[in-house]
Amino acid sequence: MKKNLKKTLSIGLAAIMALSLAACGGSSPDAPAATGTGGGSGNETKAEAGGKDVKVIKLFHRFPDDPCNAFIEKKIAEYEASHPDIKFEVTSAQNQPYKEKIKVVVGSDECPDIFFSFCGEFSERFIREGLLMDLTPYLEADPEWKASLMETQMNEYTTADGMVYGIPFRLDAKEFFYNVDMFNELGLKAPETWDDFIKVLDAIQASGVVPIAEGNQDKWPGAHYLGALNEQCVPDDVRAKDYDPKTGEFTDPGYVQAFEYYQQLVPYMNMGVNGMTHDMARLGFTNGQNAILFAELVEITNIKQENPDMNWGMFKFPTIPGAKGNPDLVSGAPEGFAVSSKTAYPDECVEFLKWFLGAETGAQQAVEVGWFNASLGVDEGLTDPSLISAYEVIANAKKMDIWFDNALYSTVCDEYLTQISDITNGDVTPADAMAKIQKVAAEAQSLAQ
Amino acid sequence: MKKKTNLAPYLYIIPGLVMVLGLVYIPVIVNLVYSFFHLSSYSSSMKFVAFDNYRRLFTSDTFPIMIRNNLYYCIISLIVQVGFGTLLALLLESRLASERFKTICRNIYFIPSLISLTAVGLMFNFIYNPQLGMLNTLLKNIGLAGMQQTWLGDKKLAIFCIIAMSQWQFTGYITLLMVVAFQNVPHDYVEAAIIDGAGPVRRALSIILPLAKEQLLVCTIITVIGAFKLFTEVYSTTVGGPGNASQVLGLFLYQNAFLHDDMGMAAATGVLIFVITVTASIFQLKVSRSGEV
Repeated sequence: MKKNLKKTLSIGLAAIMALSLAACGGSSPDAPAATGTGGGSGNETKAEAGGKDVKVIKLFHRFPDDPCNAFIEKKIAEYEASHPDIKFEVTSAQNQPYKEKIKVVVGSDECPDIFFSFCGEFSERFIREGLLMDLTPYLEADPEWKASLMETQMNEYTTADGMVYGIPFRLDAKEFFYNVDMFNELGLKAPETWDDFIKVLDAIQASGVVPIAEGNQDKWPGAHYLGALNEQCVPDDVRAKDYDPKTGEFTDPGYVQAFEYYQQLVPYMNMGVNGMTHDMARLGFTNGQNAILFAELVEITNIKQENPDMNWGMFKFPTIPGAKGNPDLVSGAPEGFAVSSKTAYPDECVEFLKWFLGAETGAQQAVEVGWFNASLGVDEGLTDPSLISAYEVIANAKKMDIWFDNALYSTVCDEYLTQISDITNGDVTPADAMAKIQKVAAEAQSLAQ
Repeated sequence: MKKKTNLAPYLYIIPGLVMVLGLVYIPVIVNLVYSFFHLSSYSSSMKFVAFDNYRRLFTSDTFPIMIRNNLYYCIISLIVQVGFGTLLALLLESRLASERFKTICRNIYFIPSLISLTAVGLMFNFIYNPQLGMLNTLLKNIGLAGMQQTWLGDKKLAIFCIIAMSQWQFTGYITLLMVVAFQNVPHDYVEAAIIDGAGPVRRALSIILPLAKEQLLVCTIITVIGAFKLFTEVYSTTVGGPGNASQVLGLFLYQNAFLHDDMGMAAATGVLIFVITVTASIFQLKVSRSGEV
């Protein structure tokens, strides 16, 4: 009797183990999806909607925080209501995990039909593997749609050979934000040239205020300074050649020059730049400890949350007279959605994007979230002056220049970020830093083939 | 009469065997194979590159920094977590304090190790923040403003700040493991030693510690292995910075796999971590002569 009990118990245990093993194996492909906010309910819909006529479109984005997430959910519910044959499975993840997860799912059979993808190298590596759908034919077939999208922004989602692979969801650019009250008190004006900028910084520092709020613990904020400086110090064609991993060399003297200009700014930044995150540094600006912050337009929402009463303005990155680059460029890039080349419903996906990233939805998005998409006229309903001026920055840009850290091949980017971090701490010289970057760029040439 | 082979024991072994094979041994072997290829997670193409991944790993500028950081973590953890943790455990099991006091202490020491690593990382980000952080504010308020640092932003200090955070978190865990081991030491031996006139130090050195040797070994091994698998603590604070100053093997592996799409390089790093931890464990087992009393 006792022996029997033991036997049953062992078999039971073995069965449980086997089951748990099966569960492990079965769940792994879904793992990325399961982390999203809407993941659970999405899977159920699929089971219920077993009928042939319901098309399930999987959408994966990187905006799990409200108000954006709520806005996306609301819009998708509206679309489902007006298109009974289409059901969405929406999942989302935070920026950093998103970048990793999308790389894993995009090559698998679990690839979402529509997903967020940064423009530039981030997407182009997928294009090299044939994983993104070419949207050009759809734009050609619908000239009205094509004409309704801002050209400067669509250019960023177009490859060198003319393939359009994404439609922008939010537009963004980098500007210097400054504390207007502080500037007025000191009798300062927003600077236009580099020399003026340094004079302004000196005046602020002399008044006992640390001029620039900067936090580079996550390493990308420093890259945005260098990206903007490279635009000015290095000619466009040289940068285009160097940012392409297959031909990148980074031997132009302008790169060293850009580092030197960056070095000039470091003494004006708060203490411990590498020891705090950008968000923390922004608090220094919004609390009035610092006078200037180099930030993205999408951060206006945060600045307003952190200090609604603050009187702030924006100025463009100061021009460096005599530098060989292009002073007209605006640092920044749209962020948008791409369609998988493996999707079973390409037409339906494009149809949805036309509406979701179109003017009508865009105007609501501008008011409710404070972000603009690339459709013309989304600013018409705006009443908030800060958002109107933010929109002007982008609308007036002659040409955008994609984020530096998005433009570079990942290993080159990593080395660049490392060197910027070291330069900020004063541990390397610009020439040594560039030598290290050149070495990694040479290695990347063979990796990217 | 031929004895009937009893299949039952083998059947029982199968599920466990399949699990261990499928989840441990096969991935280890596949990983070894991958380390000779150049491949990414989304691309179908695989290119055989022989030892090129290893060459790139060993000649990378970051390599000596990573090994140094992992060794620092390992050595400091052995001294603080295992050494100091065992000492704490001895004190908690000694007759110095009341039962109630000991229970409270055990719980206080153990609680940090229950907190998620990411949460601890975030918390220490605040503590170490140069402008608003608790540590610099504290130093200023007690009149040591000259000792204020940028902590995680300082090339020389960053890795030690991270190591300090781990010591705070895991010393109590080792203490608890050792307390359990000490409680298993038969009371007869301790009492006999007392009758023979052995003092508390002698009892600890000659009776309690030798009898808890196996547990001490386990603690040492998990600490060493943990030191070379170090990842979350760095990922949730400096992400290897400033520069590459706090880069470690685990994070390097992860960044190669998911940031640089260089699965081959990540696999090579994985093999290196595997070799280091296995060698260290075998070495420890030999040195401590496990199984002998």
